[in-house]
Amino acid sequence: MGVYYVLSEEDIPEGGHAVVNIEGREIGIYRINGEYHAILNYCPHQGAPICAGLVSGTTLPSEVYDYEYGRAGEIVRCPWHGWEFDLQTGKSLFSDRIRVKKYKVEVHEGKVGVVMGRG
Amino acid sequence: MDDMKIIDVDVHNEQDDRALLPYLQEPWRSRVAASGIGYAGSGYYSPIGVMKKDSIPPGGGKAGSDPDYMIKQLIEGYNLDYAVLTGVVYNISSTHDPDYAAAICSAYNDYLIAEWLGKHKAFKGAMVVATQDPLLAAREIDRIGGHPDIVEVMISSAARSPLGQRYYHPIYEATERKGLPVAIHPGAEGGGSSTAPTAAGYPTRYIEWHTCLSQMFMAHLVSMVCEGVFVKYPSLKVVLVEGGVAWLPALMWRLDKNYKALRSTVPWLTRMPSEYIRDHCYLSTQPIEEPDNPQHLIDLFNMIDAENMLLYSSDYPHWDFDSPSHILRGLKPEARRKIFYENAKQLYRLD
Repeated sequence: MGVYYVLSEEDIPEGGHAVVNIEGREIGIYRINGEYHAILNYCPHQGAPICAGLVSGTTLPSEVYDYEYGRAGEIVRCPWHGWEFDLQTGKSLFSDRIRVKKYKVEVHEGKVGVVMGRG
Repeated sequence: MDDMKIIDVDVHNEQDDRALLPYLQEPWRSRVAASGIGYAGSGYYSPIGVMKKDSIPPGGGKAGSDPDYMIKQLIEGYNLDYAVLTGVVYNISSTHDPDYAAAICSAYNDYLIAEWLGKHKAFKGAMVVATQDPLLAAREIDRIGGHPDIVEVMISSAARSPLGQRYYHPIYEATERKGLPVAIHPGAEGGGSSTAPTAAGYPTRYIEWHTCLSQMFMAHLVSMVCEGVFVKYPSLKVVLVEGGVAWLPALMWRLDKNYKALRSTVPWLTRMPSEYIRDHCYLSTQPIEEPDNPQHLIDLFNMIDAENMLLYSSDYPHWDFDSPSHILRGLKPEARRKIFYENAKQLYRLD
């Protein structure tokens, strides 16, 4: 377990992300509403570089023929097969069991750190 | 995985419409120069788009349009021994003018040979023919089919009627004469002059359209068996590309059951219909069905001896790409070797 301070806060604009390499792992750090979320750049389905996927909102569960758009900027969609993942939790939008690996992020004196190892 | 030999039987090279201009005769050249090819697509919208998002060449252009990038990302990236380039031009078969459709296919075939097949030893080509006029298609097969790097004849599953009917037989006659398999690929279902994309008509959304593509293959396959295509052309092989796999056992059982009662309507079939399917047909794997329990798919494979009928395909660079290192991992090594390499090697006579 360790915190890897890999970026400064100004490296990631609001709504943007950056992909960093920490101990051989590619990790995407996303900034959403001032908070940071880190995920492994590896889709649990077939291993696609998920951080190349579009970040957007999506249609929320709704009544038949209603379309309620929400979660703007919080959903990443795999660039290969289109699976949607919640950047806040890492979970796919179709199953709690299917998730992209998430890492804790710590911000200290303007530096953004990814917590690796257990935890 | 690292030392596994792989043949990918469905790789979509693309090109700008204008790339075909040097290979087109008038009056078609002026038409394409002014208006593009003008496919009659299905019209269904997908939020994901058709292309795998990381396959756009660094120098720009359409995904799949840069041979060098395809070599780097796909051939070298996955260590493929061969890739069958299937293009997208088979989709021309849903348009209305048979002469135009045939001209586009001829131009594409010449383009494919001139600008792709020599670029890498892994590249093999599927020539395309349009189904609107099977006699023109047969002439094109005779013109191109003998090229050493052409390994099959591709037609569209979006058609005006079931593909086993006698109207289409000149295509199969020519294909068999050239010793090539005929491959059938979806894409334009419901567009232009093709039939409705599902047996029930036009669904509302892409998710429905895409799921029901298997129906098209079921109907074409039953037609080909019952119309006696494999009796008339006993050495013909058919590759059902991108139509799914898991429906096949049920179709074989249902057709065999019906044959027991209704044999007299197809008296040219002297064996169980499923035997013709086993002897003459191959299915490409992508998009492979993915049940929650992977063993269920393996059980299903065992029901139909699928390891001798399946050919690995990635569908690169399309959105539903199947990576060779991530699918069918639960199969026995012997079955994997057949599906990823041996079956295609034998079918396409590759070294």
